[in-house]
Amino acid sequence: MRELVLIQPGRVLEGPSERECEGSRAHREFEERLAECGPLAFRVAYGVLRHAADAEDVAQEALLKAYRNFGRLREPARFRGWLVRIAFRMALDRWRSAKRREKRETGWTGPERSAAGPSVEELAVSSEFQARLERAMEELPEKFRLVLLLAAIQGYTLEEVSGMLGIPMGTVKSRLFFARKHLAEKLR
Amino acid sequence: MSCEEYQNKLVGALANGEGTLHKEMAAHLRACAECRKVYEAQVNLFGAIDTGVRAMANETVPASLLPRVRARVVESRMPRRPWGFGWGFATVAVAAVLVISVGILRRSLEHTSKLTDRSPTVEEGVRAATGVTPVQPQVNVAVPKRRSTVATVPKETVRAPEVLVLAEERAAFERFVTDLPEERDVAVAFTRPAADAKDEAVEIAFLQIDELEVKPLESSNRE
Repeated sequence: MRELVLIQPGRVLEGPSERECEGSRAHREFEERLAECGPLAFRVAYGVLRHAADAEDVAQEALLKAYRNFGRLREPARFRGWLVRIAFRMALDRWRSAKRREKRETGWTGPERSAAGPSVEELAVSSEFQARLERAMEELPEKFRLVLLLAAIQGYTLEEVSGMLGIPMGTVKSRLFFARKHLAEKLR
Repeated sequence: MSCEEYQNKLVGALANGEGTLHKEMAAHLRACAECRKVYEAQVNLFGAIDTGVRAMANETVPASLLPRVRARVVESRMPRRPWGFGWGFATVAVAAVLVISVGILRRSLEHTSKLTDRSPTVEEGVRAATGVTPVQPQVNVAVPKRRSTVATVPKETVRAPEVLVLAEERAAFERFVTDLPEERDVAVAFTRPAADAKDEAVEIAFLQIDELEVKPLESSNRE
């Protein structure tokens, strides 16, 4: 049985539009980068938040935001650095809002909490040194903190960190030096 | 160089991640026990910092991360019903309701004005133009056909303008209406609709002047 197609005069048969093609191409490109950059986004977020579930949420949001704006990215090679900045910024925002909330709640229920003290599990998971280290890191300026985190992530060299953030190698080294020295002074 | 200066340089070298020490500093460490102690403490401290930061930065990535991101990406690509659709529908519905309401309101107003405001009749027009009052036609109140012996007040009279009536006249009329069913002939005579009186054009004769005396105005005499 032959299929009849009604074609109006002066009208071309409709295929996938140029916009749709562009969209699916961007989707494929994003998919290729997702496997490589997804874990990086999570680790950056975890480095700030130190809470796996929160870090996963932030990484998801950052990746989704990156996906939505992927088409606007002029240089796809810069995607990694761009994503890292998004994830870091979002994680910082969440960390700050969590701190504010904690401060409010501590203000209301402070005496009860201080009386109870930290649980055994909390003490076991976070040693005194780790807690001091975390506090010292929180005091670090953002740009030093980000470089310290990225340099500590396994598999990334200082050259890659430099390329990721778009800053000279010397700047990366000096920021790393300052961050480590600051931490050592705080923890001495 | 003093021990304090050596210690600062050692800390700087460790912070910089330098694996090997300068010959001069290495020689000082071999000679100075106190500086060696400080250096060893600093090496341990930097080692602990590096371990702690690496632990923070290399947390195991949850397996659910990428599938969840992919699912959300797919979800975001799904065509969604635009907001405009709902708002457009609501706007059209509201506009339709408004148009219908205004139509109903206008119709009811027109109906009321027909009952209360009588348009100028031919007689009124003639009276306004000439000052002559033509013979008023008899005004007949439309009375619906009687279906029973009991007099009923027609609905139209409810909407008619109210008339001030003396109390005794009102009482007399009430007595009359009450007694009406008993006097069947009288009731029929009173309530029978009158024959329609047709309006007839009134002819007005032209003004006839027999003699016309023309007098000059006083102001013209003076001139």
